Amino acid sequence: MALGDIPRLGCGRSIDRIWATIDQPPTAHEQQCEQCQTARARLSGLNEATRSLRESDLRNPSLKAHPGVTNAIMDIARAEIRRSKRIRLHSTVNGTTEISEQALSSIIRFAATAVPGIHSRRCRIEVRSTADNLSATDNLSATDNLSATDNPSENTGTTASTGPHLIVNLRVAAATGIDIPRTVDALRHQIRNAIPAGVGITAGTINITVEDLYDV
Amino acid sequence: MSDQPLNGKVVTSQLIASLAARTALETPGVLRLEPTITGFVARLGPAALQNLRNAGSQNGTYRHDGVAATISDGTAHVRLDIATDIAYVALNVAEAVQQRVRESISHTGLTPGPVDICILAIEPRS
Repeated sequence: MALGDIPRLGCGRSIDRIWATIDQPPTAHEQQCEQCQTARARLSGLNEATRSLRESDLRNPSLKAHPGVTNAIMDIARAEIRRSKRIRLHSTVNGTTEISEQALSSIIRFAATAVPGIHSRRCRIEVRSTADNLSATDNLSATDNLSATDNPSENTGTTASTGPHLIVNLRVAAATGIDIPRTVDALRHQIRNAIPAGVGITAGTINITVEDLYDV
Repeated sequence: MSDQPLNGKVVTSQLIASLAARTALETPGVLRLEPTITGFVARLGPAALQNLRNAGSQNGTYRHDGVAATISDGTAHVRLDIATDIAYVALNVAEAVQQRVRESISHTGLTPGPVDICILAIEPRS
């Protein structure tokens, strides 16, 4: 609708504005303006009828969704969010295996709960294909390359198929008074073990940003 | 002896979807199949009738909660959206599902095609 099409009173006030503020006390202009007062009086009747219908609907048991329906809708909503971004883990002639970023994040967040003094926040996961890694370092096998990219001295002792090279970007809040470098190392170690144990692929690069402190 | 001709039984995409769903749910480490809007609407009523009418032809795709099956030229292609138990390695669970579903399909006389698995959630078993 064009701006000029908005219905206005003779005083220039739009009806929409009066309707939007009908629950509030009249403004100084509305207290003086006869046209505004008439409009408010007529709209207040409509407002009362609308409110009455709305409240009646809220209390009407026959209009209430069955808890099972509400739960089913929430389950679908959650599943749809999980479907948004997927990471391919494996592909053969027998079919592909993918994982949602949400599922992977849940493993990471779950691992973070085991580290005292850390509250995990946003977790984003990027993927670099193994082919990219191999082309970058021709002399390394996929496994060598994965371990070489991130902390070659660390050995978790967990065996897992390589899959894609994950780049985990986790933002956390740390408790005041903790040794942040040591705690973040512990968190990285925890995540590095949790991904192979929970998903079956190597963890890749784990970037952790402490973006906030919280009081304990 | 009846003169009525015997109708040949046709393995539909609905049957394959149902078989795949059941096989997946019986695999250790699978918590559930993830629901879809279409599956939910189908359960609500009127759409369910429509769903029954489109019960799945031998060449069409049948979709229900967390499972889609297509049959093409005697080959069945299945897609499953699953949630797995955090106590299991998700990739191993997915591979087990893939293997079991392919085996189940082969028992129907169809050729098992790709079985695509998407792990949508990893959670502790409640």
